[in-house]
Amino acid sequence: MATAANSLIHATAEHLSSHAPFDQMEREHVLWMAQRLELGYYAKGEVVLSPEQGTADKFYVIKQGVVQGEQDVVRAQEDAAWLELHEGECFPLGALLSKRPVTGIYRARDDVFCYELPAEDFLQLTHLSAAFHDFCTRRIANLLEQSKHIIQAQYSHSSAEQQSMSSPLSAIIRREPVTCSPATPVREVLETMHALGIGSMVATDSGNRPVGIFTLHDVLNRVALAQLDLNLPVSSVMSSNLKTLPPQALAYEAALEMARHGFRHVLVTQNGGLAGIISEKDLFTLQRVGLRQISSAIRNADNLDALKQSARDIRQLAHNMMAQGVAPEQLTQIISTLNDLLTARIIELECTAADLTDSSLCHAGFCWIALGSEGRFEQTLNTDQDNGIIFLVPDGASPDQVRQTLLPVARRINEALDACGFPLCTGNIMASNPELCLSLDEWKEKFAKWIDHGDPPALLNATIFFDFRALFGLSSLAEKLRLWLAKHVEGNSRFLHQMAANALRNRPPLGLVRDFSLGDDNTLDLKLNGISPFVDAARIFSLATGGLQTGTLQRLRQAAAPLHLPPREAEAWGEAFLFIQLLRLRLHHEQIEAGLPMSNKVNPGQLNNLDRRILKEAFRQARKLQARLALNYNL
Amino acid sequence: MNWLSRFFPAQPRLTPAQAQRLAAWQALPAADLHLAHAQSRYVVVDVETSGLNLAKDHLIAIGAVAVRAGKIDLADSLEIVLQQKQASSRDNILIHGIGGTAQEEGVQPVEALLLFLAYLGKSPLIAFHVEFDETMIRRALKRKIGLDFKHPWVDLAYIAPALHPDLARRYRALDDWTNYFGIRNYARHNALADALSTAQLFLALRERMAKKTIESYKELQDLDKAQRWVNRIG
Repeated sequence: MATAANSLIHATAEHLSSHAPFDQMEREHVLWMAQRLELGYYAKGEVVLSPEQGTADKFYVIKQGVVQGEQDVVRAQEDAAWLELHEGECFPLGALLSKRPVTGIYRARDDVFCYELPAEDFLQLTHLSAAFHDFCTRRIANLLEQSKHIIQAQYSHSSAEQQSMSSPLSAIIRREPVTCSPATPVREVLETMHALGIGSMVATDSGNRPVGIFTLHDVLNRVALAQLDLNLPVSSVMSSNLKTLPPQALAYEAALEMARHGFRHVLVTQNGGLAGIISEKDLFTLQRVGLRQISSAIRNADNLDALKQSARDIRQLAHNMMAQGVAPEQLTQIISTLNDLLTARIIELECTAADLTDSSLCHAGFCWIALGSEGRFEQTLNTDQDNGIIFLVPDGASPDQVRQTLLPVARRINEALDACGFPLCTGNIMASNPELCLSLDEWKEKFAKWIDHGDPPALLNATIFFDFRALFGLSSLAEKLRLWLAKHVEGNSRFLHQMAANALRNRPPLGLVRDFSLGDDNTLDLKLNGISPFVDAARIFSLATGGLQTGTLQRLRQAAAPLHLPPREAEAWGEAFLFIQLLRLRLHHEQIEAGLPMSNKVNPGQLNNLDRRILKEAFRQARKLQARLALNYNL
Repeated sequence: MNWLSRFFPAQPRLTPAQAQRLAAWQALPAADLHLAHAQSRYVVVDVETSGLNLAKDHLIAIGAVAVRAGKIDLADSLEIVLQQKQASSRDNILIHGIGGTAQEEGVQPVEALLLFLAYLGKSPLIAFHVEFDETMIRRALKRKIGLDFKHPWVDLAYIAPALHPDLARRYRALDDWTNYFGIRNYARHNALADALSTAQLFLALRERMAKKTIESYKELQDLDKAQRWVNRIG
């Protein structure tokens, strides 16, 4: 019975209008909404909304009281609210827009009254009111990041670095943005950028609204390499794909946007007008302190206990950075870099302790190599050790003699690494294994045998060992082996074909009917099903094109041109790979926090919906990548 | 003849259209009071009057809001100011805030009451301190349209203490109870705003009702009755 708006409807509209986003909406739209509202009551502890209720069918605005969101049932028992909603706040947005159940439980924390709008009216309102639509879609963008936000909330207890990532962008903007008109010639733009020492220039229209951005990064590709006529207007080279945030958005939101879209700059706009620019660098300075401290602590450590502390610090830093939304590529690189430093320091200390430094086998005479994910710079937090040694054989000595000298030291190094949180490899892929402490010639012989055989064990070994890289010592040994391998495999189409066939046996777990095809325990293995298709394909592409890289992203980038892979596709594969990597990192963190053994198994049903969607897309990319691999090898 | 009219007041005059509306309302089937809350529509009502004297004062405004399936339907609400021949006293105006002009511009009483009936249908009523609201409404209906209004009422002034016996001694007025549940009133002594507060109170009592398995209006009436009895002997 929609009567003419009476005082109750007006009072309700007024109440709504004292809160965002209703304060931004036109009065008639708020009235329209008020006339379609029901008022519901929830006693303390009562569930307002839960996944079991099925597709979300109402939009809730809190009239009074506090509603708390809980991520899952297990945690709900503890005091683990991941969000708290107060008067005037509304929920759920993502579930309504995507017409699915909510992923968490919304529970009344005290006597709660909620205005409730039916889903169809909610959707109609998003069409009616531009302001409401903006709010919802922006919130959706936030919800897309909510996986990260949730973690941020969980992780954000103490660290001061954290707080700085929670400061509003308005506090981070360092200077007035330098702008130009889109018609400005590129030459003039470059001169201004050079003169002012700035990394980017925003083109704005007459109303100070940003229309494009041109950055130093673009100079290389779009200007220098393209040999662009510098008299052309900047509009011909600028990116018009802009990401803007309001000044009150938080620093980590900007970091997340950058991480998600691969942008290096985020524009801060107020009422459409440009208010400032935030660069990746601006954000990174907010969080670098820890990194520097840890690396200098490692360099100065002179005993294992100090290094154990550093290992814990590395995990803590990773934890913080993850909470801040640092991109997984940077994150894994930082972890790898610090782990390398730590490993190198352990080797140094053990070599000194064993007096190896003075012998003819001083550490310059061998090279400690990292294998597997460590070799690819893709370590997560549950990586066990995969390492080996390449050594020089001095004149007059036999490889066995050298080996016997090195093995005990290698054993101690392996144990020290274990003490620092890198578990001993159950498959004994470690430098203390006599099979993996070899001279350069012995390694070549070993690799040659695998390449010739191409049987399943050899192919499996190739996936671990062919990702080797120097970590410590005489790196020229590893480089020589790498060059030899590249030359040896590049032309060996039979072996590449075998590797490709082997890689294609591992299909991404996408179901035909449901989203994912799952195992008996309803889980996906993010490593086996998620990461491996990318890693394996990249390795094959790299080996096929004589690439020397070990990182999956670097391999994809390097191989794209010689294999004529469409750059956009190669880029999408990289992003998909990174997203899965991020999920793994988060999973491991949660497991560490919960004191559980680390695994790569994730139940997609327990992911929040948005992560689930992205994961599905990532698997689709894996499928495309495999299709490409199959095509290249007629499989 | 003159003295007799005091005992037999003149029959109110309704236009044929009005009489038809009244007949239509009377012809509606009575509500099934045994239905569960989830299947029922209740109307929560509050009135503003020219004073608190049940014998002398008269109806100025009616506010009502429906509770349907356990939720308050904001749009299913009614707010009527009855046209007065003479505005109520200044002190009275200060209470309900319906000024003299508004009173004089209100809806003609017969029309107002027919609108109220059409809105109400046969849904059972809920109020706080029913005696007052019921008396005022019943008398207005009798005088203005000649209707003998026998409608089911439930009084939250009895239901609330019956469900919260521990609070019964200290909590008496509507404000006491709404304060207890943190229910705010956007305009106290506005009939519709008070009806909303009363409706919110009704919702907030639902948890206790569920515990006592009071699942229908009929059971509410029984509880109401029982509590009146408790009060009388206590």
